[in-house]
Amino acid sequence: MTADQLKISHSAIIEDLIDSPLKVNLMELGFLPGKKITLQFKAPSNGPLAFLLENTLLALRKQEAALLQVKIIS
Amino acid sequence: MAQTQPPSLTKPLKIALIGNPNVGKTTIFNQLTGLNQKIGNYPGVTVDKKTGAMIYQDQVYHIIDLPGTYSLYPNSEDEIIAHRVLNQLSEIEKPDFALMIIDSVQLSRGLFLATQLIDLGLNLAIALNMADMAEKSQLEIKTYELFKQLGVPILQTDARHLKGMDQIKELIHQQNFTNPGPFIEAKEFLDNSQLQDVKEYFELSNDYQAYQILRFGLKDKGLSEEKRSWIRKKLETLTINLEAAQLEETKIRYKRITEVIEKVLVKKSHQEVGSAPLDKIFLHPVLGYLVFGGILLLIFQAIFAWASVPMDLIDGFFADLGAWLSSTLPAGPISDLLSEGVIPGIGGVVIFIPQIALLFGFLAILEDTGYMSRVVFLMDRWMRPFGLHGKSIVPLVSGVACAIPGVMAARNIGNWKEKIITIMVTPLMSCSARLPVYIILIGLVVPDEAIFGIFNLQALTLFALYLLGVIGVLVTAFGLKSILKTSEKSFLMVELPSYRTPRWKDVLLTMYYKSRTFVTEAGKVILAISIILWILGSYGPPSQMDAVREIQEEKLAAASSEEQIAEIEAETSSLLLENSFIGILGRGIEPVIKPLGYDWKIGIALIASFAAREVFVSTIATIYSIGGDVEDDLTIREKLNTQINSNTGEKTFNKPTAFSLMVFYVFAMQCMSTLAIVYRETKGWKWPLIQTVYMTALAYFAALLTYNIFS
Repeated sequence: MTADQLKISHSAIIEDLIDSPLKVNLMELGFLPGKKITLQFKAPSNGPLAFLLENTLLALRKQEAALLQVKIIS
Repeated sequence: MAQTQPPSLTKPLKIALIGNPNVGKTTIFNQLTGLNQKIGNYPGVTVDKKTGAMIYQDQVYHIIDLPGTYSLYPNSEDEIIAHRVLNQLSEIEKPDFALMIIDSVQLSRGLFLATQLIDLGLNLAIALNMADMAEKSQLEIKTYELFKQLGVPILQTDARHLKGMDQIKELIHQQNFTNPGPFIEAKEFLDNSQLQDVKEYFELSNDYQAYQILRFGLKDKGLSEEKRSWIRKKLETLTINLEAAQLEETKIRYKRITEVIEKVLVKKSHQEVGSAPLDKIFLHPVLGYLVFGGILLLIFQAIFAWASVPMDLIDGFFADLGAWLSSTLPAGPISDLLSEGVIPGIGGVVIFIPQIALLFGFLAILEDTGYMSRVVFLMDRWMRPFGLHGKSIVPLVSGVACAIPGVMAARNIGNWKEKIITIMVTPLMSCSARLPVYIILIGLVVPDEAIFGIFNLQALTLFALYLLGVIGVLVTAFGLKSILKTSEKSFLMVELPSYRTPRWKDVLLTMYYKSRTFVTEAGKVILAISIILWILGSYGPPSQMDAVREIQEEKLAAASSEEQIAEIEAETSSLLLENSFIGILGRGIEPVIKPLGYDWKIGIALIASFAAREVFVSTIATIYSIGGDVEDDLTIREKLNTQINSNTGEKTFNKPTAFSLMVFYVFAMQCMSTLAIVYRETKGWKWPLIQTVYMTALAYFAALLTYNIFS
């Protein structure tokens, strides 16, 4: 599954990043394979998603979250 | 004897401050330089060049505050500048040393940039800032181990609580910066044999620099065309896939950083740090928006309450000064120029400082506390249908203070189309320069009374004008969205930093520097125009002016009572104004503006305020006081209320005209400074011209409609 499908307060491990021009941008923010992310907040009406990644809250749009292939862990 | 000069006489050393966004870099910059800051521009781009002097042990050090960036991969103009300066592509800004600021809680992300700087061959030192937050998060960084791993000097600081600032100064003073050699070698992720001629052409010392220039050099318009075409040619023959190399570099770098982190970071608690409890409210799907609305209301309320007192004082002071000058100086054109042109002109600039300072203060607080990026998160979804980005909210909110910083803030938006749309619509937000126009006109025609017991009618009218501006923004943005085309992908990746109490020193410095910029940049325009206006209003074609004077003098000679003399004198000044250059101009446009309910005097003010809206008020004041008695202490508003429209015989500022004027000012461009900024930000006259024509047409037709509704 991809990170945009996570439910609030669910955590997942990033398995891979789907190829796209945004891949490097995601990586420089710390979205790397093996890292754990937790979906914390959703802006209403399909707005951005806020993920907790190593003590930082990072906001992505759904389309960018969909570039993160994840495995759900809780 | 050696030819070396004592250190104090040599050129000051240049130290670049660099770091991720939100790591407290600006606080450190402010602590090091205080009021010795200068804000300029980098050639080719529009990023603020913030430099300052640090004085320590009688020595001067030159500090450059670079824009925050996550990596050396430039995505926005801010990052291009960091890229340019750190790659030492421009001789002027070449720093001797780089001080990297890292958020202790975000060690791996900070090290990503830090190790890139090491690989570039920069002499570096690292300040691990926000030591207090690391402690709160139960994190301990073994600094000596980190020093051993990286090979660069490490400091621990807590800029918010002013800890470690002396150590930074001492470190700079001791020139304790080193470069330990590459953290990763360029040959680990690309074929470096192809980089040899790049190194030779650009006179570089290492492969990583060569790779950076090949990969990103074309993004920097500051590079000479000769060098750019050289890069283009080189790229054609290159067999390295640079994008793949960049991905590979990123992977290797993070892998090695993870190894370093395992050795230096001790997690004292395995309990995960969640996000702030405040976010449960601030990012709440319903409450979040209510809080945002509430905060905006609070800001406007505060500005009204707090700005009016100093503004009244300034207004009074300059009125008194003008009156004092005209009664003290010997009568003549110089005295008139000073008391009726220069002094009111300066007053017209200074009067905006309270508002501008307060608004920038509030914006700085919102930014500093970390709240602003929450707003980006909340608003992105609602901005996108209009072709805007979540980040557009910052320019738009700034636009309430002044479109100039708003337009400038739009450069943080990486996507061209979203940036252009944001720049085009930001001046439609009602800025503080419109406020005096609104306030005077509302005061004239809207009664100061409450409806439904709580709402003040004047405040409601003002709110409606701001709302009208917002509607203009949305409609225009929506239209532009379907007209403009781009292949660039829009994206949002933004950190929501931990909440912090604002650093008051930083807020105050922002208020000071922003106000100073306004006074020096826009102030010049306003003052110059006030003086030109006074000249245009005081002089006219000599034949006509002399004729008026002759006739009036004859009348005066025939006058018998004092009342008659006063009447004739008033008539004289009115006739002189009518025949002055400005009167001729105002009469010239009267047929065009008559349908909006304006007479030629308002026409003059419209022409004058085409340069800057706030000039409307000072022009109206000048027009109605020229030739009159400046010692007469009638306030502007009282003066206006007694004016009679020569076309209709009614009060000039009756309801239809006043509302029509208000609406005109909601939409009209009327600001030369904004035009200049848009020209700078879009690098051409195309967009500022389109903007002016569009906004003026919009203003005209909206005002026409308003006049007809109210009359």
